[in-house]
Amino acid sequence: MSKKNRVAIVGVGYSDVSRGTGYSLDKLTAQASVAAMDDAGIKPVDIDGVVVHSFPHQFVSSTHTAAMLGIPDLAFYSGNVDGAAYSVAAMHAIAAIESGSAETVLTLRTVHKDGAAGGAAMLAGGGGKGIPGNMQFSMPYGSFTGSHWAGMYMTRHMAKYGSTEEDFGSFAIAQRKFAVANPTESFFHEELTMEDYLNSRYIAKPLHLLDCDYPVDSSSALIFTTEERARDMKQKPVFFDSWANGTTKEADFSLVGEMTHSSPFMAADRMWSRTSLKPSDVDTAGLYDGFSFIAMQWFEALGFCGEGEAGSFVRSGATSATGSLPTNTDGGACNVGRRHGANFFIEVTRQLRGTAGDRALPKKPEVGVVSNAVGGFAACALLTAD
Amino acid sequence: MTTEVSPPLPLPNELTTPFWDGAANGQLVIQSCNACGHLQHAPEPICSACLSFDLGSAAVSGKGTVYTFCIPTQAFHPYFADKLPFVLAVVELDDQPGLKMITNIVDVDPDSVRVGDRVEVTFNPLGEGFMLPVFRPISQ
Repeated sequence: MSKKNRVAIVGVGYSDVSRGTGYSLDKLTAQASVAAMDDAGIKPVDIDGVVVHSFPHQFVSSTHTAAMLGIPDLAFYSGNVDGAAYSVAAMHAIAAIESGSAETVLTLRTVHKDGAAGGAAMLAGGGGKGIPGNMQFSMPYGSFTGSHWAGMYMTRHMAKYGSTEEDFGSFAIAQRKFAVANPTESFFHEELTMEDYLNSRYIAKPLHLLDCDYPVDSSSALIFTTEERARDMKQKPVFFDSWANGTTKEADFSLVGEMTHSSPFMAADRMWSRTSLKPSDVDTAGLYDGFSFIAMQWFEALGFCGEGEAGSFVRSGATSATGSLPTNTDGGACNVGRRHGANFFIEVTRQLRGTAGDRALPKKPEVGVVSNAVGGFAACALLTAD
Repeated sequence: MTTEVSPPLPLPNELTTPFWDGAANGQLVIQSCNACGHLQHAPEPICSACLSFDLGSAAVSGKGTVYTFCIPTQAFHPYFADKLPFVLAVVELDDQPGLKMITNIVDVDPDSVRVGDRVEVTFNPLGEGFMLPVFRPISQ
């Protein structure tokens, strides 16, 4: 699709990542920012936009981030706590650059290990004051974390389509193979068997521990700019061909109209309506795996297989390194740790510009798709090599 | 260890009080639009169907169908530690297509619950006078 300003990804970077860095959210944010600037070969003075997505209870300010980095003046900034995690930062930055509101935007997602569980526990926990707002219609029933709605999404898919725990396990096994090939970033170094998967404990049956992303302290940064400026930077640019958000009519993940057909379908339909590319043009995918069923829903939403067919799609080997759609080639967040979507933008960028090192796919990809979230809100984008 | 762990109790507000008062009286009460009759859960300050701010509440049939469920086996709040495993579910109420609520399925072997099961409301004491609307299978 033709654009006033075609938006390029020109730099990617991570903070130190571990189960307990002992670092503040600000320090992690600064580390990732410096890594992305180094990758792009630019300095703070070259940046005129900062967009951060964070949890409300782990808020990271965009203006404070800019100040920390010595960025002199921001033409565009936004600090978000709503919606589809890292992709919200990405979408705001793309819109800012396409519209000419800013030229070079630093985008960030920073999270501490206890982010996903900590918030709910904190809200429900102490003070004796009780649960405010609409969470009083979920927490008294024992619904506290994503694992609870995730288990319910899986059950719905199994009941509607006859899918099995082995279907979800096949995805965990397939992406672990990529993780083993990414020893510097993955926390797990041995391949999985179906027995390993099925024997991993339930968190919320049918959801197993091995369906869950791995909680870590992390910050991820990507820098976007115009095509014109990208030409002067260190790395080969990777371009956004099209992108879209989508939401459901219901905000509560547990109460969406149809769990097997949630916001990824809205986002994917909108994205495909904005491009001449087709699913068969896509060479690699980075699909959000906060829980493995989410990536499975994205295969169906993006049209790589029919609805209800993600299990057989994965079992066919399509998502492996030599398959038609190598997926989550860094190992995914279940293995490299929770980056809330940013790792997929980073990994697909590395594959498309040819900086994935030993993990370079056997067939150099030209088009990649990335996605984030599920349920009430989601986003996806098509990336193309230069 | 016999220390009683407090349950996660609601903090009722203007919108949510009818639900909790209804439950205390043995009724499942859902927000209802006085202008168009639309039922919505959770309650909001505005009717999403007709944008009326004139909202009331209605006792509903309390019958429905299991839309989906999971069986938590790990407690994310200490109150649930001695209640595992239990059935966390979404029930679609008979009173309006698509009207759903998060709930528990009780009085049942968790592994025997199926999507599509017919269920009816019952009320379990939560603590401090709060009653929690939960569902049990309708005996055939």
